Amino acid sequence: MTEDITEAGPAAVEDDRDGGTPVPTDSVSVALDTVQGDGLAGYNYAYLDEHTKREVRRAMLKAVAIPGHQVPYASRPMPLARGWGTGGIQASLSILGPDDRFKVIDQGADESVNAANIRRLAERTAAVETTTDSTAADVIQTRHRIPEEVLTDDQILVLQVPITDPLRKIDGSDAANRRRHAHANYGKMWVHLYENVVEYGEINIAAAYPVMVAGRYLMSPSPIPRWDTEKLDDADHLSILAAGREARIYAVPPHTDVDPLAFEDREFTVERFPDQACHACGSSDTFLVEVSETAGPEADDGTDDESGTDDAAFETRYACNDTSFCAKRRETPDLPKDHHLDRSGVDWGPATPDHGDGEPRDDLDSEAGASQRGDST
Amino acid sequence: MRALGLHPVEDTRRTFRALLSAMSRPGTVESVPAPADRAVVSTLVDHEMSLATDDDRLRETLASRGRLHTQPVERAAVVHATDHTGWDVRECARGTLSEPADGATVIYRVPTIVPEPDQNAATLTLTGPGVDGRRRLSIELPESELDALAAAQDPYPRGVDAIFACDARIAAVPRSATLEVA
Repeated sequence: MTEDITEAGPAAVEDDRDGGTPVPTDSVSVALDTVQGDGLAGYNYAYLDEHTKREVRRAMLKAVAIPGHQVPYASRPMPLARGWGTGGIQASLSILGPDDRFKVIDQGADESVNAANIRRLAERTAAVETTTDSTAADVIQTRHRIPEEVLTDDQILVLQVPITDPLRKIDGSDAANRRRHAHANYGKMWVHLYENVVEYGEINIAAAYPVMVAGRYLMSPSPIPRWDTEKLDDADHLSILAAGREARIYAVPPHTDVDPLAFEDREFTVERFPDQACHACGSSDTFLVEVSETAGPEADDGTDDESGTDDAAFETRYACNDTSFCAKRRETPDLPKDHHLDRSGVDWGPATPDHGDGEPRDDLDSEAGASQRGDST
Repeated sequence: MRALGLHPVEDTRRTFRALLSAMSRPGTVESVPAPADRAVVSTLVDHEMSLATDDDRLRETLASRGRLHTQPVERAAVVHATDHTGWDVRECARGTLSEPADGATVIYRVPTIVPEPDQNAATLTLTGPGVDGRRRLSIELPESELDALAAAQDPYPRGVDAIFACDARIAAVPRSATLEVA
């Protein structure tokens, strides 16, 4: 089937399609029984038709040319519901070619149903190789995370975006927000952050932390944790952020300033995991999530706890959110996040453990004091 | 697009990847299927994207696929020029403050693109997003044309995005880049 897609398929679609051939049959199931192969005949390379790809590609190029600006495009229906990564899929399938290796993660995991299905769609229709290794992928589509391993200038990160405009939670009017972006008038966002500080003592935004891109556009980096936000700043890789439901694409080119909004006396901080480490690999310098799991049999044996309820059967532990890096760390516990690069001490999000010369990084400690607390233990 | 010697799926995909890389790293030279300028136009243009071009062959080929929608230079979304004379890049659409992406994409066919200073060509020094420090690029165009391009990229975010094409190579200067001509 692969040959059909890469050679005969596109030619047929571009030159010979006339709306399909009627199949004489009594019922759909009888017709399906007669279908040979895996049903890909007639599909264009990479699922999308060329007209759609042109539209998505034009939007991506304009998005790169105006970093942080949300470019409208004609988002197509995809074979899954809008809000499940349809923007990311359209971007990825417009980028991918048969020489690429493709990785898909959903909240850091390669094996979630959504990620596995998107990966399989690309594998079948675009004839790409797939991988779970962040360092081996040419294109990484992701929902809500940026991998722990440093991305390079050969890689493209495609982030799925549910809500494109960071101003929406402040003003529901898209027209008004469009005007604010036109004039770089972000006063209302600053007021929002100030009120946050008044109410909570710090800026209380867990994910999709608002950032200024290249000093011009306020941008939502998609619902990545604050932990990942600084990875976009002066990165080596290109980030494409695509929303299918809202039909907008925006981008952060390599080596672009991305600054989280903060006040001089209320600095941007990342999540803190004091005294916690991944239960599987022991990492204390990765983004950890709480996992509640049924305790093992040995824990069950000791159910002498006071409550005596079913809750006793669960215990809360911490685990790396990036599963593929966690697997590598289990093999090599001290593996640095820049182990695959020819230089070390790369600044990639919080607390990159490889300090190059082994000296503590005073500059980092003073700049992001709070963020360092988690790994200093 | 086969009439131009370009595969409608495979070659446009390769051209797009080169364009994406060139746009995100202004001033770098990328390889595309030849002829580069026609490959770029056929990657980007269809009936939904108005075009101004002085290339009759390209216009006929697009028209035969139902993909041609022409507009004068001042209103076209894509401006393709095999010759930089006879029109003014400063008159191209620059979009609006709220929809800057409506600014034109301008594709120049040029005789030479080299990454290093060249005595026959004008040298651009680029800074801005996508450039780590500064990057140089030499293009065989008169300095006055490049000055006009710099003027057309103002006031940011309004502006035009330029793509230079030569044989099987392209380089891009998006409006986010700051250019100095020397």
